[in-house]
Amino acid sequence: MSSETGFDPALYARFPTRAPRPDEEKEELAHIWCAPKGWDYLTAVNNSYIGLYYLGTAFLFFLLAGILALLMRVQLAAPLMEVLPQAVYNQVFTMHGTVMMFLFAVPAVEAAGVLLLPQMLAARDLPFPRLSAYAFWAYAVGGLCFFASIFVGLAPDGGWFMYPPLTSKAYSPGINTDFWLLGIGFIEISAIAGAIEIIVGVLRTRAPGMSLDRMPIFAWAMLVFAAMIVIAFPSVILATLLLEIERAFGWPFFDAGRGGDPLLWQHLFWFFGHPEVYIIFLPAAGMVSMIVATVARTELVGYRLIVLALLATGFISFGVWAHHMFATGLPPMTTGFFSAASMAVSIPAGIQVFAWIATLAVGKPRYSAPGLFVIGSILIFVTGGLTGVMVAMVPFDWQAHDSYFIVAHLHYVLIGGMVFPLFAAFYYWIPSISRRPLSDRLGRWVFGLMFAGMNIAFLPMHLSGLQGMPRRVSTYLPGQGLALPNLVSTVGAFLLAAGVLLFLVDLVRNFRFAPGGGTAGNVHDAGTLEWLPTELYSVRSIPVVASREPLWDDPALAARVEAGRYFLPRSATGLRETIVTSPLRAEPQYLQILPGPSPWPIAAAIFTAGFFLALTVQAYGFGLASGLFAVIAVLRWLWESDRRVAAERVDIGAGIEVPTYVTGSASHGWWAMVILLIVMGMIFVMGLFSLAFLWSNQPSYWAPPPAFRGAVPILLLDLAAAALAIGGRRLLLRGAAWPVVAFVLSTAALGGALWLDRGQWAAAGFAAEASGQGAAVFALLALQGAAVATGALMAGYCAARALRGLVTRPANTSIDLTMLFLAYAAIQGLVGALFTRAVGA
Amino acid sequence: MSNRFLLASTSAGWPPPVLDPGGPYAEPVTLLAWALLIGGAVVLAIVVAALGTALFGSKRLKAKLGGERAIWLGGFLFPAVVLTGLLIWGLSLTSSLSPQPGTDAMRVRIIGEMWWWRVHYLDARGQEALRDANELHIPVGRPVLLELESADVIHSFWIPRLAGKMDMIPGRTNKLLIEADRPGVYKGQCAEYCGGPHALMGFVVVAHSAKDFERWRAARRPADGGGGPGLDLFLASGCAACHTIRGTAANGLAGPDLTHVGSRQTLGAGILPNNPGTMAGWIADSQAIKPGNRMPAYHQFSGRELRALAAYLRGLE
Amino acid sequence: MAREEVMIAAVGTLLLGACHPAEIAPHDAGAAAIARGRDAARRLGCGACHAMPDSAWPKGRVGPALDGFGDRAMIAGQLPNDPVRLAAFVRDAPALVPGTAMPAIPMRDEDARDIAAWLQSLHEQ
Repeated sequence: MSSETGFDPALYARFPTRAPRPDEEKEELAHIWCAPKGWDYLTAVNNSYIGLYYLGTAFLFFLLAGILALLMRVQLAAPLMEVLPQAVYNQVFTMHGTVMMFLFAVPAVEAAGVLLLPQMLAARDLPFPRLSAYAFWAYAVGGLCFFASIFVGLAPDGGWFMYPPLTSKAYSPGINTDFWLLGIGFIEISAIAGAIEIIVGVLRTRAPGMSLDRMPIFAWAMLVFAAMIVIAFPSVILATLLLEIERAFGWPFFDAGRGGDPLLWQHLFWFFGHPEVYIIFLPAAGMVSMIVATVARTELVGYRLIVLALLATGFISFGVWAHHMFATGLPPMTTGFFSAASMAVSIPAGIQVFAWIATLAVGKPRYSAPGLFVIGSILIFVTGGLTGVMVAMVPFDWQAHDSYFIVAHLHYVLIGGMVFPLFAAFYYWIPSISRRPLSDRLGRWVFGLMFAGMNIAFLPMHLSGLQGMPRRVSTYLPGQGLALPNLVSTVGAFLLAAGVLLFLVDLVRNFRFAPGGGTAGNVHDAGTLEWLPTELYSVRSIPVVASREPLWDDPALAARVEAGRYFLPRSATGLRETIVTSPLRAEPQYLQILPGPSPWPIAAAIFTAGFFLALTVQAYGFGLASGLFAVIAVLRWLWESDRRVAAERVDIGAGIEVPTYVTGSASHGWWAMVILLIVMGMIFVMGLFSLAFLWSNQPSYWAPPPAFRGAVPILLLDLAAAALAIGGRRLLLRGAAWPVVAFVLSTAALGGALWLDRGQWAAAGFAAEASGQGAAVFALLALQGAAVATGALMAGYCAARALRGLVTRPANTSIDLTMLFLAYAAIQGLVGALFTRAVGA
Repeated sequence: MSNRFLLASTSAGWPPPVLDPGGPYAEPVTLLAWALLIGGAVVLAIVVAALGTALFGSKRLKAKLGGERAIWLGGFLFPAVVLTGLLIWGLSLTSSLSPQPGTDAMRVRIIGEMWWWRVHYLDARGQEALRDANELHIPVGRPVLLELESADVIHSFWIPRLAGKMDMIPGRTNKLLIEADRPGVYKGQCAEYCGGPHALMGFVVVAHSAKDFERWRAARRPADGGGGPGLDLFLASGCAACHTIRGTAANGLAGPDLTHVGSRQTLGAGILPNNPGTMAGWIADSQAIKPGNRMPAYHQFSGRELRALAAYLRGLE
Repeated sequence: MAREEVMIAAVGTLLLGACHPAEIAPHDAGAAAIARGRDAARRLGCGACHAMPDSAWPKGRVGPALDGFGDRAMIAGQLPNDPVRLAAFVRDAPALVPGTAMPAIPMRDEDARDIAAWLQSLHEQ
């Protein structure tokens, strides 16, 4: 058997170990990973707590947005009702869509990942617990403040995709739109943080032996999900940034009268917005794949096909965004391409559906609540998929687009593709975190009400759409055949709500949170690792994984894991720790020291929220102070994370020794930084796209850019910055001062290059407010400015650590990561300087 | 009686407008829609049957379903074949419905505005020949090329019985072909959310026989000077700051051109029947009818003045 | 034709406001007539000026709300509220109350009678 890292797989044969483990080991583990008490709940960072907070908050938003939906259904129950005045209605539907998409769906699946993945992979925790905590608190505080805007009539009212120019200052002068941009800002932060956490967690903290093809499908789905977030979210991050800049400073990105283009927003938004649907759907599909196998009591049929389908979905979903824009007058060639891609994306979905059916056919299905929800989800999702194929047909979409037919379609897809799987997951996985399982009897009623209600509510909307009812109308005139379908829809919506209400009753009666050993246990007789007995430290010992369903294949596994007969039966260093394994074959590489509870992530989150909120209400002084405190809090929490312990190598079981500190490209920090740089790179690439798009669509506003000649000193400075960053890291061998000095010089070179670049554009007569070209160029310069400022902050951080003697030699992670960032910033500055001069030259 | 009140009295039900095409640019889409609806139902039935077999079927049938072969057939091969066929149909239909250069269609420029529509009839050379608002008159059997623009935010033009929708985007001109087979009134409304009273931004297409259309066209003349007390009130009350009545001193551009307002089917952009009562009500307090629209309420008129103004405007054909 | 009708009505409103309109005979105010009247009132857009019961839009504010109309003693504060006069008033208000803002509205005799029947069926709860 070959090896990926030089680790000898024959060593796995040493497990299970024979000698009994002392009980003190278990007590020490319990002590190190002890449960929070009182205020500690706010500073907890363990995934069991953060995952549950996350999921609970997401579900709260589901309920709130659901109540908004009921209000809308009452208003539309009959023609010309006046329950919600038009202005209120416009806020309510905007909030319903925004909250469901951004504050419920994405965080809910992300939360499920945070909660379930470590147990599923038999890791002690995810690799960046404090980042998870920060992401959660930023989302919770920001999301709740954002939602509160509706109680004071300041909620956004431009629809969840916020098309300018309706949302530009001219047509939305109030701060409602700014609240939307604020709310989205938080979810962008938490989604990116979660994606980094999940990618590194899935690829680097799996139990030894869990090679990629033994990984639970849910982990595959979360991996694709996280990768898609990394590619898709930068687009909406840039879009929201540009819109806020346009609103605040008048830079005309989307103003057709000044060389901007409203369609630029649509491209940026939907390049994110359509993958977003799959970002929501894939994790839920992963859940279904897990549940189907257990419910059918057989292994999943077509595992590899499903993995391929997940990857294909992720890939194709980036080629379908313009199908939201078929009615914008795109040329037939373009619509044809997007039409074909939109149809193609249904094929991987079909493969998954037939794999589930095949699994049910092979096994002996149980009609428990999770089983019913899975079957219901398949039916609803297939219906939504079929209408999806219909609207992928351009001529039909010209009729269906922006009508209630689309409203029906998207709810079938999202409720069948995400909500029903989530409820299946609630009934399925709650026994792994609660002392009691939920009631199966109530669960069947919940399913029946939700399934009937869903279809009664949304099936008639297909008809309303064909009757000519556009979406987002606060009322409709009588005599158009719309009264009856709308009344039926309203009845169905309340039935659906009754099902959700009954679920809440079930939760109150039966859910007793017990992240430790008091859980109900493996009630479904499932085969994957999250059903091992767990405590707050996750499993007692981390098993060697030899198959996809280890618990089925080795019935004695649970007892042996609990007896500590596998990896890491104790804390090797007396600290929180987990084994980092290699990405492909999951061979043990090193022991990661995990940070423990800390008040700094929540402090950073509150100050981040304060920063954005203050900017929204234009309290700039308070906002700046808040932002400063947020940065300080983040640095303070990081201060403890690049940590070296006395023991350089430790025994992680059966005499297998691994290091406790690793630097360079094998370290989890390096991986996380690379992913972050991909995010930043994507933001920048979308910025470059924006410039090119405005050039090709608004040529009459274009002026010749400054000459290439001027870029030469900029390039030289940027190259010098990159060389200083890379060279500085090498010089660490000679002493900690060397890299620090090199990094400071590198930052200075970056700043100098940016200064020259900006000066040349200004000298050529460009101004950010004057034209779309000027706005896009200066936005790119501003992005580069943010990168340089962050680089300077990191250089300063390294300097502070060097002064405190925390920069270890011969290699150090903080130095590594700063080097990566500065080198990236240099490349970004260089590419930006060349590209902006090339467009329209 | 003419079709003056048709807007309100057209009782709708089955078939819905999308499935009840009124012209050659809607007809093939209706056929496609039926094919998709029925085909979709058939596929759903197949999936339900497969699911039912997986759950309740005989051992033999279950064995056939329970393998990768079934996944390849049902999840890959079947959709790939069907979708390829659909794609070809869709592509050819897309190009045949898209406006081709050099058609001899009648041309009309329609400009969406919060929350009504400017309608400019163009002559053969593309010059503006006639201005109206919120209503489009066309001859049957002749294609009409609409040049769709926006004056503020994005709107979308949609007459479901005549064609699919097309967005009106600031800075762009989108083209849409419509044609009606039979005389009649075809209703639509703005399909892209445009804020405020988006729900109350309707539009009416009136199709005439060729002869009637010529008659209608010929009858659209500027107002004669003799407006009497109604015109005096109109000019004295500030109405002319926003509205044009050709043939008079009123030449405001912010609101709909009223030169032919009396001949329109509707008031308030497709939402009210046009009669002396609704005209008076709209003038006195349009905010109560269409909240947020750009016309303020006019509370200063006496009863006689309001009637005189309404009657004058109703007389503008 | 309707257009001429409207012109005549409009001109009549202006010039002949004082003339007596033709009498419209009352007819059976049964449930059918009331329902027809309500529909006619909606079709003609009476809501543009008057808030109408059972209709949330439009809720015009120009004239009085119509709920409880059947309980009122007077039409426009000037005429006894009986079916004949009410039918005449809804069709040609200025002929009966010269200073009113309510214009003459072209409609069929049956519509006028039905609307009157509907209005008189409206009682305070």
